[in-house]
Amino acid sequence: MQFSADKLAELEEMAYHIRRLSIEMITYAKWGHIGGSVSMAEILSVLYFHSMTINPDDPHWEERDRLVLSKAHGSPALYAALHLRGYYPEEMLYTYCELGGFEGHTDMSRTPGLESSGGPLGMGLSVAVGMALAMRFKEIPRGRVYCILGDGETNEGNVWEAVMSASHYNLDNLIAVIDYNKVMAKGFLWDQMGIEPFGDKWRAFGWDVLEVDGHDIEALVEATHKARWVMLRGKPIVIIAHTVKGRGLEMAEFNYKWHTHAPDPPTADRMLRTLAHNYGRTESGYSHLEEEDQKENFYGGE
Amino acid sequence: MEESKVAVVQDTIVEMRDAFGQALVELGHDYPQMILLDADLHTSSKATYFKQAFPERFIQVGIAEQNMFGIAAGLVLSGFIAFPSTFAVFASRRALDQIAISICFPNLNVKIPGSYVGLPTSRAGASHNCIEDIAVMRAMPNMRVADAGDNADLRAIMRAAMEVEGPVYFRITRYILPTLFGSDHKFEWGKGHLLKNGEDVTLFGTGLMTGKCIEAADLLEKDGISAEVIHMGSIKPIDRDLIATSVSKTGCAVTAENATVIGGFGAAVAKVLGEECPVPLRRIGVRDRWVDSGGIDELFTHHGMQPSDIAKSAKQVIATKTNTDVL
Repeated sequence: MQFSADKLAELEEMAYHIRRLSIEMITYAKWGHIGGSVSMAEILSVLYFHSMTINPDDPHWEERDRLVLSKAHGSPALYAALHLRGYYPEEMLYTYCELGGFEGHTDMSRTPGLESSGGPLGMGLSVAVGMALAMRFKEIPRGRVYCILGDGETNEGNVWEAVMSASHYNLDNLIAVIDYNKVMAKGFLWDQMGIEPFGDKWRAFGWDVLEVDGHDIEALVEATHKARWVMLRGKPIVIIAHTVKGRGLEMAEFNYKWHTHAPDPPTADRMLRTLAHNYGRTESGYSHLEEEDQKENFYGGE
Repeated sequence: MEESKVAVVQDTIVEMRDAFGQALVELGHDYPQMILLDADLHTSSKATYFKQAFPERFIQVGIAEQNMFGIAAGLVLSGFIAFPSTFAVFASRRALDQIAISICFPNLNVKIPGSYVGLPTSRAGASHNCIEDIAVMRAMPNMRVADAGDNADLRAIMRAAMEVEGPVYFRITRYILPTLFGSDHKFEWGKGHLLKNGEDVTLFGTGLMTGKCIEAADLLEKDGISAEVIHMGSIKPIDRDLIATSVSKTGCAVTAENATVIGGFGAAVAKVLGEECPVPLRRIGVRDRWVDSGGIDELFTHHGMQPSDIAKSAKQVIATKTNTDVL
């Protein structure tokens, strides 16, 4: 497929901002799931800035594509993506976890552009199946429903009920994306509950399976393009995106202790400067570094 | 208070589950955006009537209730009104997290029928006799809860469910119930129905227990006790005014529900009494135990839920009231 260097640069840039804003929000809130937010930065960048047909000026446009974030604790990254895509101004991001603001886990009544509410793991794919069925009822053949799942949440039985039903209904308008970051809340996936052979499981349930490096923008673009326009043969499609939990953040990479862990402001400042440096950008640190506040401290991880 | 027409007549025509199926079809004609989902029970629940009438709006999900309620949420988020249909035990236990977070939290238009409630559920036993659904469902923000007294009440509840935005849980008894209401019956959320005026005690019934309250009132009348009978089809919201008005006249109350008394309808009435007009109360229902297999009448006797049990409780609570007066 045709793909320009400019577009690639734009998608890399958006992934950077999704990472950057996730750290900002979580640090400011003193709470959040940082590792699983930044691990899907490229996935969200490619979906929101390349794959999905949506219109932020008309968020309820009937024929739009939908995205369900089943791993709803990754909400900071999604909130960042929706802001960058033009659904609301940046200051709203700093209402994350504030009373009346953006919820810790997704609450669609609070956040423009959000298509579902969630929190308990393993439930989002069923909602996406419902949306994909609805698209068929409404005869919207170009529409697609995307659902991002965590790897760990596929421990949940509900996921496999949904997987079974999607192929039963031949939902080739449904594309699941797995943020396969290998790390769960309290340990490595293979220690907590192994899921391999993962692709074989989906294939056995009647899905088409693509496996990619989930931090390789070009590979993700290729996979989402295939899933959307090429592989239409009556089967739902899963893109297993191999990622690194905490990708791009010092200390947090591949470290379950950073599953739920907010950096303190000086740490966030260092993380953001390193991140900017690694992206070859002018270094800029944590935007609220000098601010003092009275909020309770939820920094502590684990 | 104006008294509704009371007519306890045995309706030999349809079981309540058939009335449910018929009402689904009526609503299906009026609401083209209505979709019915089923988890392999449609010929038992009688949701099959809808399948026959609108096969293109019927979704079979197999034996997968958690998935069914999630799919229902997805359909509603795309503009449909979903009726995920299963037995009450599976709705209120197996799929509770999905109902809570995928449906109640975003206040979605999912209308949840709980089939086969309470004691009279064939002889399937404790696993299938649903007693905790009222307690569980009424605890969830945004959820409305109703238990129909008869077929006309059920039809009216289902129509009222369509007319409100947000999730509704309503209970369906499997069997034939005595007719309480005429075909012109109206149901309003948060409104009860005064079925019989009385002076000495108020019997608050919901679901099929209202019919038993009327029978209990007849028994009490033979002993010279005047019982007021009120049907509370709408359990949440509940008719606070009607409760307060009635007990301020009678001075004591008995509640009756085809469910556990823990956290259910009796608890909802007790809350109103405690907050607004404390009077002595007795609650009839299942008392912290499982409901095993058995015959229908046998089970109601075993669990102390017959009209004679209600009448006995009424006399006890009236005695408490008298004692209080003496003190």
